[in-house]
Amino acid sequence: MAGLVTTFGAGAMTNSIGEIRDVDCLFVIGSNTTEAHPVIGMEMKRAARRGATLIVADPRKIWLSTIADRHLELTPGTDIWLLNAMAHVIIAEGLTDDAFIAANTENFEAVVATVAAYTPEQAAVVTGVSADDIRWAARTYATTEKAAIFYTLGITEHSHGTDNVCALANLVLMTGHLGKPSAGLNPLRGQNNVQGANDAGASPIYFPGYQRVDDFGALARYEASWGVTLDPKPGLNLNEMMKEMGRKLRGLFVMGEDIVLSEPNVGHLEKGLNGVDFLVIQDIFPNETTRFAHVVLPATSFAEKEGTFTNSERRVQRVRKAVEPPGQARADWSILLDLAGKAGANWTLESPAEVYAEMVKDTVRFAGISHERIDREGGLQWPCPTPDHPGTRTLHEGGVLRGKGLFTAIEYRPSSELPCDDYPFVLSTGRTLYHYNSATQTRREEGLDSKQPEAFVQIHPRDARELDVRSGDEVAVSTRRGEVRLKALVTRQVKPGRIWMPFHFKEARANLLTNDVGDSVTGTAEYKVCAAQVVKVGEGTSKFPGAYAVE
Amino acid sequence: MSREESQIPELIRHLGGLRTGVARAISEQTGVAEAQIYGVGSFFHLLNAPDVKLRVCQGLSCRLAGSENVLESIGGNGVLASPCSCLALCDQPPAVLNDRTLSTWNDGEVVALDEAALGGAVSESRSDMAIDLAGEPDFSNRALNRALELGPQAVLDVLEASGLQGRGGAGFPAHLKWRAVRDQAETERFVVLNADEGEPGTFKDRAVLARRPDRVVEGLTIAARVIGANDVTIYYRGAFESLMDKDFEYRGVRFHLHSGHGAYICGEETALLEALEGGRGMPRLKPPFPTTKGLWSKPTLVHNVETIACLPEIIMRGGEWFRGLGRSEPGSKLYSISGHVQKPGTYELPLGVTLDELVEEAGGYVGTLKAFSPGGASSGFLPASERTRPLDAKSLAEVGSMLGSAGVVVLNETVKMPWAALHQLRFFAEESCGQCAPCRIGTRLLAEQLTQHLSSGAPLDAVDDVAWEMGEGSICGLGQTAALPLTSAMKYFPEEFSR
Amino acid sequence: MTKTLNINGSTFEFVDGESLLEVAQRNGIGIPTLCHDPRLKAVGACRTCLVEVEGQRRLTPACATLAAEGAKVTTDNARIARHRQLLLSMYLADHPIGQKNRGDDELLEMAERFAATPLGALRSARPGRSENVNPYIKFDAERCILCARCVRYCEEVEGVQAITLAGRGSLTTISTADARGLLDSSCELCGGCVDVCPTGAMSQRAGWPLLKSDTKKVRTTCNYCGVGCQMDLVVDPDANDGRGHIVRVDSPGPGTTTNDGNLCVKGRFGTGFVDHPDRLTVPLIRGEDGELHEATWEQALDRVVKGFAAVQEAHGKDALGFVSSSRCTVEENYLVQKLARAVYGTNNVHQCAAT
Ligand SMILES: Cc1cc2nc3c(=O)[nH]c(=O)nc-3n(C[C@H](O)[C@H](O)[C@H](O)COP(=O)(O)O)c2cc1C
Ligand code: SF4
Ligand code: SF4
Ligand code: SF4
Ligand code: FES
Repeated sequence: MAGLVTTFGAGAMTNSIGEIRDVDCLFVIGSNTTEAHPVIGMEMKRAARRGATLIVADPRKIWLSTIADRHLELTPGTDIWLLNAMAHVIIAEGLTDDAFIAANTENFEAVVATVAAYTPEQAAVVTGVSADDIRWAARTYATTEKAAIFYTLGITEHSHGTDNVCALANLVLMTGHLGKPSAGLNPLRGQNNVQGANDAGASPIYFPGYQRVDDFGALARYEASWGVTLDPKPGLNLNEMMKEMGRKLRGLFVMGEDIVLSEPNVGHLEKGLNGVDFLVIQDIFPNETTRFAHVVLPATSFAEKEGTFTNSERRVQRVRKAVEPPGQARADWSILLDLAGKAGANWTLESPAEVYAEMVKDTVRFAGISHERIDREGGLQWPCPTPDHPGTRTLHEGGVLRGKGLFTAIEYRPSSELPCDDYPFVLSTGRTLYHYNSATQTRREEGLDSKQPEAFVQIHPRDARELDVRSGDEVAVSTRRGEVRLKALVTRQVKPGRIWMPFHFKEARANLLTNDVGDSVTGTAEYKVCAAQVVKVGEGTSKFPGAYAVE
Repeated sequence: MSREESQIPELIRHLGGLRTGVARAISEQTGVAEAQIYGVGSFFHLLNAPDVKLRVCQGLSCRLAGSENVLESIGGNGVLASPCSCLALCDQPPAVLNDRTLSTWNDGEVVALDEAALGGAVSESRSDMAIDLAGEPDFSNRALNRALELGPQAVLDVLEASGLQGRGGAGFPAHLKWRAVRDQAETERFVVLNADEGEPGTFKDRAVLARRPDRVVEGLTIAARVIGANDVTIYYRGAFESLMDKDFEYRGVRFHLHSGHGAYICGEETALLEALEGGRGMPRLKPPFPTTKGLWSKPTLVHNVETIACLPEIIMRGGEWFRGLGRSEPGSKLYSISGHVQKPGTYELPLGVTLDELVEEAGGYVGTLKAFSPGGASSGFLPASERTRPLDAKSLAEVGSMLGSAGVVVLNETVKMPWAALHQLRFFAEESCGQCAPCRIGTRLLAEQLTQHLSSGAPLDAVDDVAWEMGEGSICGLGQTAALPLTSAMKYFPEEFSR
Repeated sequence: MTKTLNINGSTFEFVDGESLLEVAQRNGIGIPTLCHDPRLKAVGACRTCLVEVEGQRRLTPACATLAAEGAKVTTDNARIARHRQLLLSMYLADHPIGQKNRGDDELLEMAERFAATPLGALRSARPGRSENVNPYIKFDAERCILCARCVRYCEEVEGVQAITLAGRGSLTTISTADARGLLDSSCELCGGCVDVCPTGAMSQRAGWPLLKSDTKKVRTTCNYCGVGCQMDLVVDPDANDGRGHIVRVDSPGPGTTTNDGNLCVKGRFGTGFVDHPDRLTVPLIRGEDGELHEATWEQALDRVVKGFAAVQEAHGKDALGFVSSSRCTVEENYLVQKLARAVYGTNNVHQCAAT
C-alpha cells in the first residue's frame, strides 16, 4: 500500500477486474487467487484458457500453478532476489521501455546500479528457482504488450513487504507496463472494504483520500471543515498499537475485528490487553477479544445497513439493507454518531449518504461520487473528481498520478526469522476457499464447515516420513512464541522444509505462532515466514474433503 | 482437448471398463479431470458396463432369426448378457459379441468367426468391378505408384471424371472434399477412415476389411499423398478388432488405429472426430465441415471404407471406366443384403440395379416379398411394389427414402410392419447421442406412442408433428431421419396401424 | 469498413466474431434461447434459437452461427413458429413438473409465451444423483433439459469440472465422477451451476420452489473478499417475525456487473451467519463482578464516553487507540477516524487490515 502510494501516487489496482480477461501475460505472485479472490480467479482462468501466458510465483503449489505455463516455487521470503534478478535480466537484455522511463519516471539509475549484482544464477541459489525460469519469466513479462502483475498478502505480509511492492513497481516502470488497459500492477485486497477503509482515512498517517496528516494544507482544510484543531503528528499503526497495548496505550475502541485471533504473536497481545484500562468492542458476534472488553456494543451485519464498500479495483459500490437487525443491535454508523454526540460533538449527519457526501467534499479523488449516483449508475471507480465524470477504469492512463513514477533501489534483507536446528521448518500462513479470516461467519455455515471442518497443517511427504506422520495424524507445531495442535495434511503442495497452515481456526490459532515484527512502513506483520518445529502427537484420520492434493 | 486426452477411452478399457475408482486413477495419471473421464466412459457401451460379457444383437435381421430367444437362453445360463444394437453381421444371424469378438449363435453355442467367415458371402470374382471382393489381394502398389506419377492435380481430375460419391451414406462427391482440403492454407492435414460401420443392415465395410485390406491401405495412401497428409487414422468399430492391426507406417504415411467402443453415432463423421479426440461422441455443428476444421481442428478428409477401396482401380483404369460401371449413377456399388433372402451377403453390382436383380444375386427370396428397407434403418421401408425401382440415390429420394449405406433388409409376408418399425425406432432411441432435444425426446416419444398403440390402440396422433420437428430441429442425420421407419410404414401399410 | 447483414428486412452492422444471436439481441430482436449464456462457448444444442438464413436449406442456430457480410436472416415465419411450438411441446412431454412444484422455470415460461402444450407424456429416464450430504445444491433429474449450461459453466468459468454429461441418449444425465456426492468431488460449491440452470433442475435446497413473486431482491455488495461481487439477496420479508430472512443469494445477470454473474462459495452460501443465534443483540457492560451484563444503549454509551475520558485524563490523549474494520462500510470508517481525530484528538487510528 504505502509502497504504491510512494512510487505511483495511488495505492490501488491500476487495472480493472474486467480487463483481466484480455491480459496476455499474467504474473501472479504471492496470491492464491482462486481461493482468496475466487471471482478474480475465474477471470484469470478465462485469460489462460484464451491463451494468455500465466506465470505463478508462490512457495506452494496452488490451483493456479496447476494451469500455469511455469510455476516459480521460490523459497518464502526471497521475493526480492527473484524480482531484482528479473530486473537484472530485463536491463541486461535491453528489454526496457526507454521512452517510458525517460518521460515518466525518475531514479532509474539507482535501480540499474543495485540489480547489477542480482544475477539469475545467484538468485537461483537463494530462491530455488532456476536461472532459466527467471530469465524466461523476465523476458516473457517484458516483451508482452499486455502484461499485468497481481499480488496479495504473499507479497505484503513480510517484515520487508513494502520493499517487495517497490521491487514489483520497478519492474512495471522499467517495462512501461502501466497506464494501459490490461497492463499494470494490481494488489488484490484481502477483505471486502480494505480499499474503502484506507480511502476513508482509517490510517494513522492519512486523512481521507491519502492526504497526509502532517501536510499542513490538508490539516488546515480539515480543521476548517470539522471546526476543531487537529494534531499533525502521525499516530500509531496497528502493529505498534498491539505492541503498546497496556503500556502507552490504555484505552481502545475496536470495531468489527477480533484482534486476538487475527493479530500475530497473540500470547504477547493477551498480556497487554489485560493491562488496558478500558476496552470497547463493537461487533456482531462475541469473539476471542470480547473476553477482555469492558463494554460490548451489538452492531449490524452488511445485510442490515446502508453504506458503501470499495473493492480492489477502486469501485465504490452500495451496501443495502435487506433485513432488520436482530434484537437491539444497531448499525455501526448510527452508534458512532451517537457516541460522538454524547462526547460533545455537534455533527449534523443523519444517514450514510450524508456521511459519504461529507467525506468526498474535501477529497478531489472521490468528489464526483455519491450514493445517489451509484444507485442510478451502479458502482463508480475513483478517481472520479466531478459529478459528470464517468470514473476511471485504468489508473495512470494520462501519465503517472504522482507526476513521475519513482524507482526505488531495493536490497534484499532476509526474513527476520530463519529456520535453525530447533525450528527447522519455514511456516507460512494463509487463507482457504471455504473460510474467511477468523471464520466467525463461515464456521457458522454448515456447508462451508463440512467442506473444511478442521484445522490442518500441510507437510511434504518426505518430511512426513521423517516425522513418521501420516495424513490425519495429530501434530504439534511450535515456534519461539507458542504451540498449537492440529491435523497433519501430507501433500506435495508444499516443498520439503516448508509447512503451511490456514489462520481461520480458533482451536489452532496460527497467530500464536506467527512473528509480530512489522514492516517498517506499514506495520503489516510477517505472517508469511517464521521458523517452526513439528512433532507427532497422536495417530488419527481425516477426510479433508476440501483438499485436492492429499497424498 | 489435448492429444493425450484421446487415450482416455483406451485407458478406461485397459483398467477393465468404467468401474468405481477408474476415473480417479486415470485422472491422477493424466491430470485430466475425473468427471470428464467419467463422462467419456459412460458414453460408450463397451466401456460403461464392464461386467457384461456377451452382447446379443437385436437388429432387425437378427430378430428375424430369433435373437430375442438367444438372449433369453444365454441369460438362463447365468452369464451376464445384454441386448445390443446391430453388430454388422446381419448376414450370419443371430450375431453375438463376445467381449470384442464377433460371433454367431449356432446350436446353443457362441461360435467365434475368423477372418474368412467375416468376409461373408460375396459375388464371384469379376475383375471388371472396382473392388472385386472375391479377388486376390494385390500388394504391388501399382495404383499408388501410378498416382504419384500422375501428380495430385491429375488424380483429382480422374476422381472428378469417375463421379465417385461417398459410400458412407451422405453421397457427397469425393473430388469436392479432396479439393476443399487441398485448398486450405493450413498444411497439417489428416485422413480419417470411417470404419465404424453401424447402420442396421449394413456390413459391406466388414467384408472389404476382411477380404481386400490391400485396397483400403493403398486407397488411403493415395488419398494422403494427394491431399498432403502424413497421418491416416483408422477409426474402427470395436467389434471389428480381429480384423485390425497395430499402428504401422506405410510408404512414408503413418497409420494410426483407433478402436471405437460401442456407439453407433460415432459413425457420423464429426461425432467420430470427437471420439478420436477422446471426447463424448456427440456430433459437432456443421459448418465448419471437417474439410476445414476436422481432427484437432485441422483440415481432414473423412471417407467411408468402400469409398476408399474404389480408388486403386479408378486410378488404374481411369475415371470414365468407373463411371461407366454404374447403370443409373456412376460406379459399381457394394450392396449388403439380409433378411428374407436365400444367400445374405455383400454383392458388388452396377449402381442402380433393382431389388429383384439384387435378390437374384443373393439366391432369391425366402417367402413372398412384403417390404424392404433399401439403405439402412434410416431409409425407412418401401413396399413390394417398389421392387423394380433402381437402387440409386436419386430414384430412392423420389419416394422419400434413400440409398444411404445400401444395407438392404428384405421382409416377407410373415413380418408385421408396426413390429418392424418399433424395433427400428428403439434402435434410434438407444443410439441417439442425447445432445439435442428433437432427437433425444422425439425418438422416445415415437417409440412410446407406438408401444401404446400396439398394446391399447392409443391413437398415433403426435407422429406427424414429432417427425416434422425431428427433421427440422435435429443437429445430425440420426435425428433428422429417425422417424422414417415409422412414417414410411404408416404411409405404405396404413391398414396395419388402425384397428 | 463496417460490415452489415439483414435481419427480418432491416440492415444491421456487426463486428467480426459476433453471432447472429448477439446482433439480434443488441438490436432488440427477440430470439428464444435455453442453452445460451454469454459467458460460455455456444453449442447450439437446445435448438430453440433456430432461424432461417437465406441459401441454407436447414434451420440454423442463431447462437452458434457467426454473422456474415450480406447474410439474410429471418427470425420469425410460419416454419420457425411451428418449429418453436413443437420443440417446446416435446420438451414439455419430457418435463413432468406439476404446477405445485413449479418454481422459476424458463422452459415453462417460454412454453406459455409460445402457447406450447405437452406432446404426450414421458416418464423421465434420466438417473438422479444419489442423495448426499451437501446442504446447498439439489439436482432434480426430472426437470433437467440437458442444456449443459451447468456442466459448461463448471468447466469454462469455474474451471473445476466437477460435473459432466454422463450416459447417452435419453439416459443422459448430469453427474459427478462415479456419481458421488458433490462434497466428495472437486466441486468448490460456487453455485454457478444453480445460477445458470434455466429450469431449476439444479437448485439451492434453501428456498425452493419459492417464486420470484413471494420474495424481494436486494442488490448489495458481498461482505467477504476484495473483489466486491454484486449480489442479490433474495429475502422472504415475512420470516423471523417480520424481520426478514435471506432465503438465498442470486448473482446479477452476466455482463451487468464486475463479477459478470459469478460468485464464489462464500458469497453464494455464506449468509447464514446473519440469523445465527450467537449474534450479539443487547449492549453489555462488565460489572464489578467481572462478568458482562445486559444494559440499555443509554447506559452503555455513557459508560464508553466516561471510560475514554478517564483514560485520556490519566494518560494523555494518545493513550487512546481506535481500530476500525475493513469489514465495515466506507462511511463507518470515515466516522471512526473523524471520531478519533476530531473528538478525541488522536491520530491513533488504523483499520485492521492495511493491505
Ligand atoms: C447417424 C449417422 C451415422 C453414420 N454412420 C456411418 C458409418 O457407420 N460409416 C460411414 O462410413 N459413414 C457413416 N455416416 C456418414 C458419415 O457422417 C460421413 O458422411 C462419411 O463417413 C463420409 O465418408 P464418405 O464421403 O466416404 O461417404 C453416418 C452418418 C450419420 C448421420
Ligand atoms: S440428432 Fe440425435 S444423434 Fe444427432 S446430435 Fe442430435 S441427439 Fe445426437
Ligand atoms: S457448485 Fe460450482 S464447482 Fe460445484 S458443480 Fe456447480 S459449478 Fe461446479
Ligand atoms: S441441470 Fe439445469 S443447467 Fe444443467 S443440463 Fe440440466 S437443465 Fe441444463
Ligand atoms: S440457444 Fe442456440 S441452440 Fe440453444
